[in-house]
Amino acid sequence: MRAEAVRAGPAAAIERRPASRTSTLYLFALPATLLFVVFIAYPILWVAGQSFYVRSGSGTSSFAGLANYVTVLGDPTFWIVVRNMLLWGVITIPVQMLIGGVLAYFIERHTHALRGFFRTMFFLPVVTSVSVISLVWVQIYAPYYGIAQEYLKHVGFVMMTSPIGDPKMAIYALVIVNIWQWTGFSMLMYIAGIANLPSEVLDAARVDGARGWRLAMHVIVPMLAPATKSLLLLGVIGTLQTFPIVHLMTGGGPNRASEVFGTFIFKQSFVLGDTGSGAALSVIVLVVALVLSLLQIVTLGARLTPAGKERA
Amino acid sequence: MTPLARSRLRSTVIHLVLFIVLGFWMMPQVYMLSIGLRTPAQAFDAALFTWPVTFDNFATVIRDNPLGGIFLNSLIVTVATVAIVVAVASLFAFACAILRLKGSLFLYTTLLTTLMVPLASMVLPLAILLRNFGWVNTYIGLILPYAALGVPFAMVILKSFLEDAPRELFEAARVDGCNAWQTYWHVALPLVRPALVFVTIWQFIVTWNEFFLALIVLTKAEMKTLTIVPMQYSGLYMANPGALFAVLTLIALPLILLYVLVQRAFVRGLLAGAVKG
Repeated sequence: MRAEAVRAGPAAAIERRPASRTSTLYLFALPATLLFVVFIAYPILWVAGQSFYVRSGSGTSSFAGLANYVTVLGDPTFWIVVRNMLLWGVITIPVQMLIGGVLAYFIERHTHALRGFFRTMFFLPVVTSVSVISLVWVQIYAPYYGIAQEYLKHVGFVMMTSPIGDPKMAIYALVIVNIWQWTGFSMLMYIAGIANLPSEVLDAARVDGARGWRLAMHVIVPMLAPATKSLLLLGVIGTLQTFPIVHLMTGGGPNRASEVFGTFIFKQSFVLGDTGSGAALSVIVLVVALVLSLLQIVTLGARLTPAGKERA
Repeated sequence: MTPLARSRLRSTVIHLVLFIVLGFWMMPQVYMLSIGLRTPAQAFDAALFTWPVTFDNFATVIRDNPLGGIFLNSLIVTVATVAIVVAVASLFAFACAILRLKGSLFLYTTLLTTLMVPLASMVLPLAILLRNFGWVNTYIGLILPYAALGVPFAMVILKSFLEDAPRELFEAARVDGCNAWQTYWHVALPLVRPALVFVTIWQFIVTWNEFFLALIVLTKAEMKTLTIVPMQYSGLYMANPGALFAVLTLIALPLILLYVLVQRAFVRGLLAGAVKG
């Protein structure tokens, strides 16, 4: 690779040299392309194909058209999953933005010596292993010896069982854990946004008499729109791939009340061994993710990476 | 009150409120450590703190469990993934932003779709693929899929950094007789160092904590990584929360310590515009 690249020269493409001499430069793009083809594109095509086949008892597959999709969509669990995913996204995304944004604002604009300390501490849940976090929260929620119930009693909030054991409350209890873990990420994205705000604009606003609440709401919030859009996009994809917290804390129970796409796919594919409906579910999740993402990119101009500031 | 006194008061109140919020925010971690430090008699007390504390649980779990080997598995998978992601993504970003190869923009856009793919929809096909390759219970079976999933994000950030770099530098390198490889190595990489640091740290965190694929690919005890062992300990130490939470603390600790060490560089990369898209 090295020897071949030597002949080509760095700006070969810019100077439009003959294709034969620039072709070795494609070695720069080759590894990424290979990884993508083998581990992303091929698996996606495979799973899409597989979603049209059913496996009989003898282990042979036969073409079944949309049978897998009909089965999946007719499964009441699927609709519980859809409801849970909607709740998950609708609660998690705005709450994380709000708490993360408020923390970012006060940390960035009102602390100095302790700024690094606060930034780091609020981010720690993001870097704490999710499996550890899940088990700690199981303990927190536990009846009799968990601290949540013990301390909430004092403010008049009495529970008889663990909230994750209650079909009505389980999904909310899990959402709280998820919010707690990922708010630090929203905070950091907003910190990047606030730190990169052009100071001329802030000064101009201050001269015009905007300060405190008005400065925050009418100047800073609108200027952080790129970060907000990115967080929305990342939040939707993050919601669709929810798995460890649910798998480890409730396993989708009780009685499938807290099932999400991740746990549903896991059960169909690896516990029941029904790769047909597992594949159909995978395709559904994939299509939902692509449609929702493209919709946001087209209508909001959202970006796929966490955005700190507008491109100059 | 003078303006100075008022601003000082406001700063004090804001710090106070932040500390109170932080106190609540840190409760799960404090609780974890606190249970790990309890004697068996206090283990089931419904309290955040108990007294006295003991380090017996930590001594027990370190003595009884092969934590070193599990840690090593995590380290091998993570370091290899990070190295591949940084190398592959920076080469690709260089091809797009500096060499401007024909068709590279199309490739770039195609690779970007990876960022819209939820891992939940990839585990089944990846599991089958890895089984066909005979890569179940191997390091490579995790490293390459992780790398493929990680490259697009790194590539976006590195490309935007390279595009912001002064083009005259690359021109000068060419005039001085640098070939593409030398320009990449001696000009491009040093220029985007804050972005490389940012990408490295982020990829490290993501890979170290990945759960879903690891759960499916690693089934042999001696291959397991730190993120997937807590489940088995929760069964093993069901009647002994002190030991369970001691081992959980030990599992969580390496990455927390690492982050505290590198957070300054991480945030610096972030503020330098690593995430402007």
